[in-house]
Amino acid sequence: MQRSSWLGLAFLSPALIVVLLFFMVPVVLTGFFAFTNMSTATGVKGGEYVLNASGLRALADAGLPANTLDQIEGAGYRVDAGGLEALAAEFGQPTADEFGKLHAGEVFTKRRDIERALKGLRSNPIRKTRDRKAAAELFKRSMMNERFPTLPAFEAALEEAKIPQADRPLITKVAYTGWVWTAENFGFLLSLESTWQYAKNTGIYVVFTLSFNVLFGLFLAIATFYLPAGQASTFRAIWFLPRILPPVLYIVMWRWFTWDTGFISTVLSSFGVAPKNWMLDTEFHAWTTIVLINGFVGASMGMIVFSSAIRAIPSSMLYASEVDGANRLQQIWHIILPQLRWPILFITSYQTMSLLTSFEYIYLATDGGPGGATEVWALAAFHTALNNYGGNLQYGLGATYALLLVVIGLMASLAYLRLFNFRNLLIKPRIEG
Amino acid sequence: MTTLVSKLRQSTAAAVLALTAATVAGEAFAKDLTITVWSGGSNDSDAYRWEAIEMAADILEREAAILGEDLNITVESKGQFGNWQEFKQAVTLAAEAGTAPNIVVTSHLDIAPWSEAGYIVPVEEYLDIDAWPLSDIYPNIMEIAAFDDVQWGLPQDAESRPFFFWKDTLKKIGYSDEDIAAIPARVEAGEYTLQNVLEDAKKAVDMNVVEEGYGFYPRVSNGPDYAQFYQSFGGQLLDPDSGKLVLDKKAMEEFYQFFVDAVDAGITRKNHLGTDWGQWYNEVANGKAAIWHGGTWHYGRYAQEGNEDFWNTIEFSLIPAGTENGRANTITHPLVYLITDNADDEAEEIAANLVKIASEPRLNTLHAIKSNHLGISRQQSNIELYSNNRWADEATDRLLAHANSQPNHVNYGAYSEALFKGLEAAWTGTKTPAEAVAEVEVQMKATLGDELIVR
Repeated sequence: MQRSSWLGLAFLSPALIVVLLFFMVPVVLTGFFAFTNMSTATGVKGGEYVLNASGLRALADAGLPANTLDQIEGAGYRVDAGGLEALAAEFGQPTADEFGKLHAGEVFTKRRDIERALKGLRSNPIRKTRDRKAAAELFKRSMMNERFPTLPAFEAALEEAKIPQADRPLITKVAYTGWVWTAENFGFLLSLESTWQYAKNTGIYVVFTLSFNVLFGLFLAIATFYLPAGQASTFRAIWFLPRILPPVLYIVMWRWFTWDTGFISTVLSSFGVAPKNWMLDTEFHAWTTIVLINGFVGASMGMIVFSSAIRAIPSSMLYASEVDGANRLQQIWHIILPQLRWPILFITSYQTMSLLTSFEYIYLATDGGPGGATEVWALAAFHTALNNYGGNLQYGLGATYALLLVVIGLMASLAYLRLFNFRNLLIKPRIEG
Repeated sequence: MTTLVSKLRQSTAAAVLALTAATVAGEAFAKDLTITVWSGGSNDSDAYRWEAIEMAADILEREAAILGEDLNITVESKGQFGNWQEFKQAVTLAAEAGTAPNIVVTSHLDIAPWSEAGYIVPVEEYLDIDAWPLSDIYPNIMEIAAFDDVQWGLPQDAESRPFFFWKDTLKKIGYSDEDIAAIPARVEAGEYTLQNVLEDAKKAVDMNVVEEGYGFYPRVSNGPDYAQFYQSFGGQLLDPDSGKLVLDKKAMEEFYQFFVDAVDAGITRKNHLGTDWGQWYNEVANGKAAIWHGGTWHYGRYAQEGNEDFWNTIEFSLIPAGTENGRANTITHPLVYLITDNADDEAEEIAANLVKIASEPRLNTLHAIKSNHLGISRQQSNIELYSNNRWADEATDRLLAHANSQPNHVNYGAYSEALFKGLEAAWTGTKTPAEAVAEVEVQMKATLGDELIVR
């Protein structure tokens, strides 16, 4: 490699790092999460081992022998010689003697019970709550409700409790609180009717918004091309506003515009039309609003790209066509549009990809309503993994949605490459060959 | 956030150093500690959720001072979150990143998954549950903050979710004052059912007393309220014997059908879900709707919306039964104080003691009355601020005795999400109630597996 090439690489490196950090790493992580059952309850960082009442119920259902269950559950807090010795060491012999006299040999199933017993010490009271708790722990012989951070620690506890070897794998499996690898997410998603509804919604969203973006962008670009320069820039600036407005502000304006008590309802009420929510009234209303909201943002980008592409067309061609008597429509059809093929391809494929994954405007406007009618795939992934009322965040399942979206995106890009004959567009001019 | 955490870490480290130094020197030690409190689902009138912690910190500092310890607790609180979704997302992600606040005020439903994930520690590790003030808390409310026989949190408030009737509208459709006053008792006895709600609401719309879509005006977003209607039709959320969640298909379908009937009759809007909360409160507070349901805390909110005369304008009752199989009911959904798992054991202990002090009757009463919630302990009825409040008194009497809560179960979140999704699909006409229930069944079976009983 030449030295200059290394220089190029060096200049590119910040971009490469950004791509790696903000694109590759998330994609890889998504792929990884998609094959787990990660959720709020399992946490992300791995798990610990704990046996609680729910766990015991699950073990009973799974057919763990009753003896073993009793062994785990019944151990409780035992006032034995070892415990009393430890109590003597911590709190003095008289305390241990008094406690031994009152309760030696007893087994308490719950911590609260032994704490009550410790509270009953009259001559040698343990006054502080914290000390009583510590004293109770000295008699603990049960592994219930104790979190073991590692597998060896848990296995040691099983060993100490003399749990039969054959039962240990099942107990360990139930006791584990962390996530496990699974491929079931994919089958589960595909078995849900709502998944197909999301796919359909995404199809509607992408097709209609994309058509609006490209056609309206083209219209704006061509219309402003034929205007005097000053007016053209004014119009372009106006149509550029939706893109530069902060999304939240932009959507607040839309809500104000379409709400029951908003602009449209107020204006129409003077014509006798009953006020209604023009954004959420029916699915049709919701989709129209969503397409317009996203369309105005997307069209401005098309407008800019198409406008500059039109300016790059040699003006001599346009003059020549006018000399030949071509009207505006003929000019557009025969000269401008053919030369916009590359930018149209670019805008179409770029916007398809970004629409597939974008949901922020839908989230802010309808949040998938009414009745899930505008819940697109990406929004469903967001709701599943990160944002729902119960706080039941299913990272694994959400990532599966996202991963499938990546696959769909890749397939769509390949289809575009074929459709627009990408290679021909990129062919090197002969003169350079 | 990061600065907060680093501050917390610094202060903890400083405290540990100070402690060591003091032990070595055998002198009184100084301890500086920052305790962070995050509270979900709160607005301005709920400020005592964290202000009570600040007051508790003051008391704890004074107690320490008497013992010759120099304890300095700085309470940093955050009560402004966009909605429950954002709050829970924030807490969960912070806990994963190891930067969770010390004290969280949240729904009791979070106890199961958060304890499983190891985000929280049980308060019983630090507190004597048998001693006052905890011994004075109503046992059934205390139970709601427990999971798997472990006392994970302490109840922060109590509430319940009643049905409301606009008196003037009922009069216009033929009710006398006595009839209206008898409604709560008739609802409780199962004589006035959801079918009567449909009839009365339809009358109100047909007679043009209220606009179309305003006959029955339910909650506009997901919430515990909808589980009440499932119970109205005889549905059970949890099987107490096996500890498993229950999908009663018949009750679920009848519950969905009720909302579909309401839409078909023109008394509820098809696109009602998603209505702006501000708009909703204003409308129900001022008589635009005939019948609706909400929570005990709405009492104060209606006054803010301009209705100063609650008692003469609004009647309230339990959620009526749907069929003979069902029962009139209401759900109480107490928020709880939870202590998060922290590297510093001392911080956990202090946080636990702060929530204990904040649960004392006088402090809790400040919250209960200011935010129109119900008290958590018996002694609150001996505090005049509480006992002189007609709303707290009557709502406790009429509702709380019949209240049940949603179950603390690791998978209840997924259950309730599926229940609401099905309702939304049926309500908006995307699916028939039977289709919606079929999908709910698929969804629940797949996510809950063995933890679900289908009836």
